[in-house]
Amino acid sequence: MEKSEHREFVEVNLLFFAKSREIVGQKSILFELPKITTRNLIIDSITKKFPDLQQISKNILLSLNEEYLDQDCSVTLKAGDELAVIPPLSGG
Amino acid sequence: MESTDSATLFSAELKKQLDKKDQEIEKLKKLLEQYQESACDQNFLRHEREDFHLASVDPVSRLSKNDIERYSRQLILPEFGVKGQMKLQSTSVLIVGAGGLGCPAAVYLAAAGIGRLGVVDYDEVELSNLHRQILHTSDRVGISKSLSIVRSCQRLNSRVEYVPYHLQLSSDNAMDIISRYDIVLDATDNVATRYLLNDACVMAGKPLVSGSALRFEGQLTVYNCSGGPCYRCLFPQPPPPETVTNCAEGGVIGVVPGIIGSMQALEAIKIGSGIGTSYSQRMLLFDALDGTFRCVKLRPRSQACVVCGEQPTVTQLIDYVQFCGAAATDKEQELKVLDKSSRISAKEYHSMLTSGLDHVLLDVRPEVEMDICQLPHPNINIPYATFTKDVQRAASQILDKMEDLKHGYHSNNPQEDQAYRYQQQHKRGLNTEPSDEAWLTNPPAIVCVCRRGNDSQFAVRMLQKEIQARLTRGEADHGGDQGIKIVDIRGGLHAWARHVDDQFPVY
Repeated sequence: MEKSEHREFVEVNLLFFAKSREIVGQKSILFELPKITTRNLIIDSITKKFPDLQQISKNILLSLNEEYLDQDCSVTLKAGDELAVIPPLSGG
Repeated sequence: MESTDSATLFSAELKKQLDKKDQEIEKLKKLLEQYQESACDQNFLRHEREDFHLASVDPVSRLSKNDIERYSRQLILPEFGVKGQMKLQSTSVLIVGAGGLGCPAAVYLAAAGIGRLGVVDYDEVELSNLHRQILHTSDRVGISKSLSIVRSCQRLNSRVEYVPYHLQLSSDNAMDIISRYDIVLDATDNVATRYLLNDACVMAGKPLVSGSALRFEGQLTVYNCSGGPCYRCLFPQPPPPETVTNCAEGGVIGVVPGIIGSMQALEAIKIGSGIGTSYSQRMLLFDALDGTFRCVKLRPRSQACVVCGEQPTVTQLIDYVQFCGAAATDKEQELKVLDKSSRISAKEYHSMLTSGLDHVLLDVRPEVEMDICQLPHPNINIPYATFTKDVQRAASQILDKMEDLKHGYHSNNPQEDQAYRYQQQHKRGLNTEPSDEAWLTNPPAIVCVCRRGNDSQFAVRMLQKEIQARLTRGEADHGGDQGIKIVDIRGGLHAWARHVDDQFPVY
């Protein structure tokens, strides 16, 4: 049971803000991720899909359902979860 | 009958003279006011290398009749009340950045009756600021931004004490200035000053109400406040400088910093009056295109943070320009990517146009900017972003355009008529200015332009490489012994406006 859960994938809503929105060219996409994963693995999957995000991958906040995900914390995702990629804005 | 007429005439004449004298008096009054204002400004404005000493704000223990009337609508709020007002009037706030965020923040803090308001900005008012920096005025273009904000706020509420600082906040002066205030607002426009302000606020123990805005997006967080994180807890590393977009480059809708700056004032008022902030350990994300506000819960203070953690390694201010690899302004830096032989001046391009030399004009600005203004010669628009994505396609488009030219292609495009008229109008000018420029004997086949002359250099470099590769592979016609000469216009359209056509729009 546990083994199959590890291989299970879920579809989440991935939102892009600020520079990541500019790079990806979209505000949100549906994105498939392993159900059981970590914050850093999620970042890896996203930068694999959008290689241009690599340049800012160390300067982003990642939030799950509007809550910050700490570096390398483990994450269990549900279908329809909302993940947000948030780089800082510096203009004013 | 006649005498009545002359009496009417006489009284009309007197009235006319009186009006004239009134106008003169008005004019003299204005002049005197301006003179007094500027004399007072000189004593008032704080500059670099000054003693930043300020007496602390006197705690307010009772409200005057005037205060009660002025602040009555907030005094009757049970959450705020007289106590909140008195606390606010005993509080000092420093706004760093007198721009799109600083203006709305300042106006609400002044209106609410903050005790002391300091405003830091090294810059002067420009016409392109006014769509969002709403406390400056058309007639203040060229004067200090911090002073301009203070003048506007003084008219709104002269009971507040104002301290304008006309200087660049730096590692040398930041602690001295910040330590004299209770709350700091980050209303700046660049990464280096954001890290500087964060570290200085951690070291001085001040809450930092941080706002930012770009295009249609805004962000707000209060750092270093009631156990919440500092900026470095969330963003330990600055972004690579080439990934940072500023308002001059990316654009911004004025209301977006207006909303974020107003919220910065609100949070400062809540902290100052004792209500407390809602944005410690939370980040507000405002999306003006969708009309949505999202609030993301953040991490608490990081014990491993290099500045606010348990064992900080950054214990005094560092060199933030070096740390971020970018200047502490939002001004465009003039880059030098190409060597001299691959660049021409705006004036040289002007001579090229008047002598009617065949060439492809390549404009690499984003499509939306092509509607603002264009050089008076038919061009091909391939945005710089296309070069970075697919240089091969960009090169093919340009080479096709060169082929068209070679085969005498002429369109009925009105822009090309404009180019023809331009040549006719300027031919006389050319005759009086004999040119011995080397490029006349070996004129460029492709001239690349952008707004300021930075993107154009990168585009030329990429194009040169790509075309050279094709020539080597024998896939492109090299157009003579010297290959295909590609240059950019130094300083871009800004240089054109400055050196060739002063009627050309600058944006």
